[in-house]
Amino acid sequence: MTRAEAIALALSLLGEGDIVVAADGAISREAYRALDRARTFYMLGSMGQVASIALGLAMTRPERIVALDGDGNLLMGFGGLAMVGGVKPANLYHLVLDNGCYATTGGQPALSRMVDLAAAATGAGYKWARRSSSGEHARGAMESWLAAKGPALLDLAVDAEEPDPAPRVPMTPKEMATRARAALAVR
Amino acid sequence: MSVSRRLDALLEAGIGFVAGVPCSYLKKLFAGCAELPAGFFLPAVREDHAVAACAGAWLGGRRALAAMQNSGLGYCLEVLTSLHLMYRIPLPMVVSDRGAPTDYEEHRILGQSTRGLLDLFGIPWREAQPGGHEAESRWLIEASEHERTPAVLLVGKEADV
Repeated sequence: MTRAEAIALALSLLGEGDIVVAADGAISREAYRALDRARTFYMLGSMGQVASIALGLAMTRPERIVALDGDGNLLMGFGGLAMVGGVKPANLYHLVLDNGCYATTGGQPALSRMVDLAAAATGAGYKWARRSSSGEHARGAMESWLAAKGPALLDLAVDAEEPDPAPRVPMTPKEMATRARAALAVR
Repeated sequence: MSVSRRLDALLEAGIGFVAGVPCSYLKKLFAGCAELPAGFFLPAVREDHAVAACAGAWLGGRRALAAMQNSGLGYCLEVLTSLHLMYRIPLPMVVSDRGAPTDYEEHRILGQSTRGLLDLFGIPWREAQPGGHEAESRWLIEASEHERTPAVLLVGKEADV
C-alpha cells in the first residue's frame, strides 16, 4: 500500500469535526490531494514538529486531533513523543506513515528500521500503540486505532516508493494558517 | 494572583497558553505556570517543541506564549523561520537575557549574540524594565499580533518578579 493510499484511507475514516495536522513534504501534499479540508493544517517545513503542533491543538481544543506523521519526521522530533506521552491528551491520535526511509530526499534508510516506534510511544506514556502492516490490514488497524483511548499511535508500514507524486498545496503558508484557524473558530 | 507578577500581567493582557523550558532567571514565572489549570501550561522538553506547540495552540484559538532561556533560541530557529515567520503565526516570547561578560562561559556566545540574532530575522524585541510588567505584556501581544510575528521580551536577572 502506498503512503498516499494510506493517507486517503485515514482521511475517509475521520469525522468532519476532526482536526488534522499533516507533516511537511509528501504527506501534506498527498493529504491535500486526497481530501482538502479547512480543518487540516498543512506543514511545509519545521520537520520534527508534527506531534508538538498536534499537542498544542489537543491541549486547547475538545475535538479529536489527528497527526499524520512520517517515521523520519517523528525521529527528528522524538522529544515530541515524550511530551504527548507525558501530557496524555485523550483526544490525540498519531498516525506514522512508516516507509523506513527518507523518501522525499532519495530513499535514504531511516533508523525507524531499527527503532520500535510503537514501543517508544508506549514507553513515553501513550495509552495505545501498535505497529501494523498496511494493505488489507490497514482499515482494521486504523479502526482499532481510532476506537482506542488516546493518546494513541499507529505505526503503519507503507511502501517506500510513491509512483504518483502529489503536487504542492496551492496556498500560501499565511493562507493555510489563516484558513485553519478561522475554520476552528467556528465550532 | 500567582507568585509571578510577570505571569499575572501576561494573563491579564490575554495570554491563554504557555509552553516553555525553564531558566533560573525565570524561576518565578515558571513557578506561576505550574499552578495554572490543566491545558494552560506545557512543560516542553526542548524549546523548538515549545514554540511548535504554541503554534498549535494559536491555531486552536489561544494567545500562546513561549518562555525559555536565550540559549534555547538556537534550537528554535528552524521552527521560528519555517513555521511562525513563514506562516505568519503570532508568538509572544519571554526569553531570559543571559550571557553578560560576567556570566558563565556556556551562556556567553549565544547570549551575547541574542539581539543580533533577533535583528537578523526581523524579530522585534524589548528589554524588560523594573516595574514595566503591564506595559511590556501589552507590547508583547501587540507586537506579535500586529505583524503576526514572533516578538521577544528579554528578561534580565533582576526582572523576573
